[in-house]
Order: sequence, then C-alpha cells, then structure tokens
Amino acid sequence: MEWIKKGLIFNPLQHSLPNNCKEFAQSPQTLVFDDFVRIYFSTRERDELTGKFLSHIAFVDFDKKFQHILKVSNKTVIPLGELGTFDEHGIFPVNILRHDQKIYAYTCGWSRRVSVSVETSTGLAFSDDDGITFKKAGAGPVVTASVNEPMLVGDSSVKFYDGIFHMWYIYGKKWIAANENEPPARVYKIAHAVSIDGVNWQKEEGKQIIADILNEDECQALPTVLKIGNWYHMYFCFRQATDFRKNAQRGYRLGYAWSDDLTNWLRDDSNAGIDISEQGWDSEMMCYPHIFECDGTVYLLYNGNEFGRHGFGIAELKKG
Amino acid sequence: MFTWKKKGRIFNPAEVKNRSWLQEFAQAPSVLVFDDFVRVYFSCRPPADDKGQYVSYSAFVDLNRKNLFEIIKVSDTPVLKLGALGTFDEFGTYPISVIPHQNKIRAYYAGWTRCESVPFNVAIGFAESENGGETFEKLGAGPVLSYSLEEPFVISGPKIRKYNDQWYLFYIAGRKWILDNDKPEPVYKIRMATSKDGINWIKENKDIIESRVETNEAQASPDVIFYEGKYHMFFCYRYSTDYRNNQHGYRIGYASSTDLINWVRDDSKAGIDVSETGWDAEMVSYPHVFALDGALYMFYLGNAVGKFGFGMAKMESYKS
Repeated sequence: MEWIKKGLIFNPLQHSLPNNCKEFAQSPQTLVFDDFVRIYFSTRERDELTGKFLSHIAFVDFDKKFQHILKVSNKTVIPLGELGTFDEHGIFPVNILRHDQKIYAYTCGWSRRVSVSVETSTGLAFSDDDGITFKKAGAGPVVTASVNEPMLVGDSSVKFYDGIFHMWYIYGKKWIAANENEPPARVYKIAHAVSIDGVNWQKEEGKQIIADILNEDECQALPTVLKIGNWYHMYFCFRQATDFRKNAQRGYRLGYAWSDDLTNWLRDDSNAGIDISEQGWDSEMMCYPHIFECDGTVYLLYNGNEFGRHGFGIAELKKG
Repeated sequence: MFTWKKKGRIFNPAEVKNRSWLQEFAQAPSVLVFDDFVRVYFSCRPPADDKGQYVSYSAFVDLNRKNLFEIIKVSDTPVLKLGALGTFDEFGTYPISVIPHQNKIRAYYAGWTRCESVPFNVAIGFAESENGGETFEKLGAGPVLSYSLEEPFVISGPKIRKYNDQWYLFYIAGRKWILDNDKPEPVYKIRMATSKDGINWIKENKDIIESRVETNEAQASPDVIFYEGKYHMFFCYRYSTDYRNNQHGYRIGYASSTDLINWVRDDSKAGIDVSETGWDAEMVSYPHVFALDGALYMFYLGNAVGKFGFGMAKMESYKS
C-alpha cells in the first residue's frame, strides 16, 4: 500500500457546529452519494454540569474531489441517550453502512462511571432522510460487554460481504489502576462479530484478531476494512496503554493488516504505506482511520495530533 | 388458593459476629437443600463508606433441615469475589440464585457498577461451584446477560430454573429512570430468557407480568415453582416514588401460567401481606418459595428491604 497525503481538509474551528460543539472533528466516516460525499465525525460540547465533554455526531458534505465544502450539518444528527442509558454522555464514533435501501448507523455510546471514567457499548440507528438524521433501533445497545469481553465494547465498523454482515470492533481487556500521574488506563483489542440481519450479532467472544506488536497492553482502536480485488485490508490505530496523550513516542500510529478469508489476519505495519509527517498537524499522532472507495479511487481519512482536536485530513491510495 | 401462616424471622444479620463484610441486610434469600441442612443464600453488606455508599456480597446460612429456626453455620467468606476495576460487578454481587447441574452448582447473580448520572447499573453474571456451593468461580470477567436494544439497563434479580430440559432465567430489566425530587429512581419489570445450555440466552423481550398499581410500578424477585399442574410465580412490586414506607413500599404479588411465557396476575391469591407490627409491618418483599419434606415454605424480606433479615411463612393445606 502507498498513500499520497493530501493534507487537512476540515478544521472544526472554521465552522459553526450544532449542539454547541466547537473543537474536535474525530473519527471521520463516509456515506458516498452520486454527486457528493457526506463525512460524519464526532465533535464535542462542554457539559456545563460537570465540565466534562459530551461527544456529538455532525457531518460535512464535500464535493467528490474533496476540494469544496458544500454543507455542514446544522442540527442534531443522532440524539444522545436518556438518563441512565449507554449513550447518555456521548456518541463517538459512528460508522455508516448503506445496504439494501437502508442506512445503518453503528454508534459507540459513552456513559460515565465512578471508579473508571467510562463504559461504552455499540448502538444502532437508521436514517429515513439520506443520513441527515437517525432514529435509534432501541434505547439500549446491540453489542455490549459479555463473559470474555468484560467492558468497553465500541468502535464498531460494519461491512456486508458475501451475504453476511461483518463487524469489526474493540473490547476492553482490563483497566490498569491509577498511579500518581494518570487516572485508570484501559487496554482494548480488535475483535470480529457476524450477523445475518445487522441487528443480532454473534461474537467470537474474547478472540483478539490482530496481533500486538508493542506489548500485551497495546491498545488497538477503530478498525476499518475494505475489500480491494481479492484482498481485505484493515487499518486501525494503536498506542501504548499509558502516557500516550502528550508523549508523541507513545501516542497513536496507524497499523495495517490483511486477510484473504476474513478469518485470519496478518499484521504488517511495514506495509501500511503511511506514517506521521515531519511537521504539521499529523506530526505527533495519527489515529481513527477510515478507508473507502469513491469513483474508483481509494481514500484514507484520519485524525492527527491531539486526537483530532484540529480536524481531519485525507490521503489517496496510489494506483498501481 | 395460597394461604401462608407466618412463622417469624429466621435470620437477623445484626446477630452475626466476626464478619466485617456481613453487618447489615440479608436480602433475596434462596435455598439449596442438602441431606441434613438447608443452605440459604442471601446478600449482605458491610457498613456504608464515608460517602454513604454500600458494596454488597452474597453469602449463606445453613439451617437445620429438621428445625429451620436452628442456625448451624454462617459462611466464613462471601461466596463470590467482587469484580476487578471497571468490571460490571465491581461494587456488588446481589442477588444470587443457584441450581445444581451435573457435579457442580451454578450461580446466577446480579453484578453492580457505579455510574455518574444515576447511582448504579446492573448486569447478570454466571459462576460455578465445585465445593458444594461454599464458593463460586466466575466463568469470565463479564456478564452472561446484559443490556440490549429493548432492555437498556439494570438487568438484575436473576432466578434460575430448569424445566423439561430447558433453562429459564426470570429476571428484571430497567425501563426508565425517573427523577423523584432530583433523585434518580429505577423502574423495572419482570422479564424472561430461555437457553439450551444455561450460558447463551435468548431474551423473550416482553414484560411477562402486567403492571397493576401504576404504569411505573417496579417489579422484582420473580420466583417460580411448579405445583399441581401449573407454574406459580411469587414476586414483589412497589410504587415508583416515595416507596421506602408502608404506603408505597413492596408487597408480594402472584401470577400463574401453564407455559411459563403467558402469565395471569392475581395478587389476591398471593396469600401474604404486611403484619400489623414488627419487622415486616412496613413491607414484605423478595419472596422465595420452596418445597421441603412435605411442606411448602416462603422466605421473604420485611422492612427496609431486608436490612433486618428474612423470615419464613408456611403454606396451609399444602398437598405434596
């Protein structure tokens, strides 16, 4: 794989966003139309009650060359959940699937905890208006913690291949206790589930599908899969479990794996074909990748420094 | 058709010595009958912490089978450990329901975690004992039955049964959190799931007991026995707000069924109510009904939902 970076294409500070959101445009995810591309992202509102953030979904419409912004969402795309629900304190990220005349949104809902900061689960919503707004399939999640995936299920990404829905997602293995420098730190891994209807999912139950390269506490997030020819390609991001926010050496990088059967994945970061820049908006960190095809070209959307506080950029796969 | 004669209190946790984790409460009793004694599992608490918050443990007391008022033994330790940091059962294992299976004893229990916007969330865990029910080992760090589209939170109060080679789990699921003077109070309803192996569950996804006193009636402790060709359920119910008193507090309800799925509620047949004075004058709740040596007994909680222990009633005119 070889990518040509095209630079930052969306800076949230240059736009007026719904839900009192200002900074952050995280985890860009696309829905491709005939004459434009809708890119969903998560942005943040400051919760006045607690001073903590609430993540909301918004979108920006681009022309199909990603040169011009046509529209930015001006109202709530998916409402946060009610009191006590799994997505009460944020939705981040969302993955959109168009399948059989329907538009599915797989959300990662956040709810705050006391001994650790948060718990997450995967929710599902549908749109009847070309993805401008979504209605939830229910107040609860479709995929959540289970016996061998005890916490932090989220970052779901769904594709329909050969008559089956495939979900790649992450689950938490443990929380590392707080120390004098940091609050409790989570460790999560990439997993896979299948479904015949996109609603009821069968997990592989605690099976990590992507090997670690750093150490056993490596955190892996946001798997994105695309079939090109006969091969399935996965990008994701990974980092050290602790001291990853400000220490660029330990922060997120993009990882890569490939498969020809959707069961066995070979991790091969040396062939990712993209890395941090020497300077600029993606020089310290790269995270939350999304690969997709548009008019015969494969693109990669991703966030850079500070987890996407300053927006997202795009790269184009070199044809060859 | 059921008439219960109250026999008085069986167990008062305040009288237990030398167990720092067993100081208050003996909630949700359920029995396992041995040759010489009846083991009664219940849930208890050490004193609240400096923020007024409790953790809960499950334990047991062994009663002389020939004289249920005679306590033979109180468990030396809790039967289950609390979960690790960030897991669903980090702050409590309450209640517990056990059933012998092959050479082991299976336990289904509700695990409690603490949340920021509401006080807690609950999911159901699974564990097994290989030492006659003295202690149990968890199948995994996560729950076997958790939140889903139509059951968004507070999956609790499991009661395990096996009829005709099919496993049945009766439990409660949260419907909504309502604010009573700014304090969140959960509304929950009795639900059911079935399983071939007792581990992978299919939810029925319906309220199996209709609400009677109000739409937001909370229902708990769905305890089922088979007797004279029918299934009988004793449970408890309360009003949604201001329920820590006589007027709105827990009472014991009754329903019957021939197929375990369709239930007809008729509280007038429960045959038990609050006493005029004493430990069960404010409320009666968390019934557990069991047959023993030609008699039918009910263990139940009194005032303050078991803070002062549990008592016993005996059915009059029981035909074994």
